Order: sequence, then C-alpha cells, then structure tokens
Amino acid sequence: MKLSDLEKALSPAVIAAREEDREILGVYAGDLLSRAMSHVREGDLWITIMNNRNVLAVAGLADAAAVLLAEGVTLLPDALEAARDNGIAVYSTDKTVYEVCSLLAGYGV
Amino acid sequence: MDEFSLYVLDIVNNSTRAGARNIRIFLREEGDDLYFTVEDDGCGMSEEQLARLRDPFFTTRKTRKVGLGVPFLVMLAEMTGGWVKIASKQAAGEGEDHGTKLEAKFGLHHVDFLPLGDLCGTVTTLIQGAPDTDFLYLHTRGEKQVRLDTKELRQVLGDLSLAEPEVLAWIRENLAEQYEQMNQV
Repeated sequence: MKLSDLEKALSPAVIAAREEDREILGVYAGDLLSRAMSHVREGDLWITIMNNRNVLAVAGLADAAAVLLAEGVTLLPDALEAARDNGIAVYSTDKTVYEVCSLLAGYGV
Repeated sequence: MDEFSLYVLDIVNNSTRAGARNIRIFLREEGDDLYFTVEDDGCGMSEEQLARLRDPFFTTRKTRKVGLGVPFLVMLAEMTGGWVKIASKQAAGEGEDHGTKLEAKFGLHHVDFLPLGDLCGTVTTLIQGAPDTDFLYLHTRGEKQVRLDTKELRQVLGDLSLAEPEVLAWIRENLAEQYEQMNQV
C-alpha cells in the first residue's frame, strides 16, 4: 500500500504532506516514544495519539513512511514545523488506533 | 523507557559523558511531587547548546542526528504537571567553575507518571560505568532517606576500585536494604 492508497482508504486530514508517494512497508501502533524508537522500522506507518515534536524526531530517526494521528489528534505548532522541516508525512483521523488497524488489515497491510 | 529509573540513568549518563568528577543526584518526594536534581562538575554547555537542549533534533553526539534524553524527560515532566530547568557553565579560564545543574519536577501520583523502577540497579550501573567519578545519591521521602556517597565508600575501600564486582554487589545490596526500610509503612 502506498501513501496515496492510505489517503483513499482512510480519507485522513493531511497535516503535513511529502512529495514522494511512498510505499508503506509495515505498521507500528503505540504511544511510548522510547519504545517506538526501537520498534518503528524504515517505511512503517506509525499510528499514535502523541502529537509533540519528539514524535517527529522518532519518526525521522526511523525513516518512517508516515505518522498517522488517531482519535482526532492534530500536531502541536512546533511539531508541525518539525514535520515540514524534515519532510515527514503526517495524517490525522477521527478513528481509534484499533479502527485504523482493523481497516488496514482489511487491505492486507 | 517505562520506568522513571531509566530516565535517571539517561540523564546522569550525560554528566558522565561531560567528564564530571563529581555527580550529585537528588530525588525528593514531597506530597504529590517528585523533585529530581542532578548536579555535576562536567565541562558544561555553551549558551547555544543549552538553548537547543530541549530540541529533539539536536544532539552533541555525532553518531545521531537527534538526542532524545532531555526532550523525553521534559515530556514526562510536563505530562505530569511538572517542569525541567537546566543551568550550565563552561570554564571561562583555567581553574574556573564549570558544570551543569538539572532540576525537574514530576507529578508523582499523576496517572501518566511511571513506576520509579529499579533505582538500586540504576545507581549501581552508573557507578560501574564511571568508577572513578564520585557520586552522591540521596533519595528522601519525608523523614526517611536512602543515601550513598562514594567518597565515604572510598575511605573504607582504600585502593580497591568501585568497579570490583564485590563492591558493586555490596552497593546494590546496601541500597536495596535502605529502600526496604524506606518502604516499610
């Protein structure tokens, strides 16, 4: 699944876009950033409800394909700046983490 | 980092990396608040480094683009209704004072705070990693306290290194005993 397919499947709000239509290689869901740091892999879609600047640093470190904020969460202003500066795709959806995972599983992700 | 002790380990390791000879670690529980203070006589930071310390996209380590120890600590503090203050001084000339002082407050009983974790193991690990550095560790809860001063230990040990397995085992056990007494109701 590519980011453009994710956008079609979920219709999330695009908080920060990236030019490249990147392939989603896997998914990680979780909110404890130190744990995400060792578990988010390159090309992963990371689903979380955390919305601060540290999230973008962790996503950037792992070279995640995108961050998907669940439960209607949006980025704090300085986090949005970090997403734009570092070219990290960020989406937001009203769905819960569980709902997103179920839906993506249906697409064979 | 699902235990507070891991944050202590991470922050104090910064003092060790800054070449500190003396590190003082204070944990003070006051009602619903936990105060965590680390004072070192390491090389200190420039104003520019200090200003960027909270930025997760900055680090003094060359291997990684981002350093997350302090940003994670700030996040935990702010999530639990607390704060982090950091002051630092680089030596202006030979023999001048230098070092860093970090003070943080956490909501000890806040729903997002973490278990304190294995503080005995953390202190032992810190000493093992820097056996020539002097550590003062003081954790107070009301009238009760857990205290370890490696300067005092060295007076008893003479030439024996703090890195000796027997010494480290003793330190760990001694701290565990002190914590057992502290935790008695």
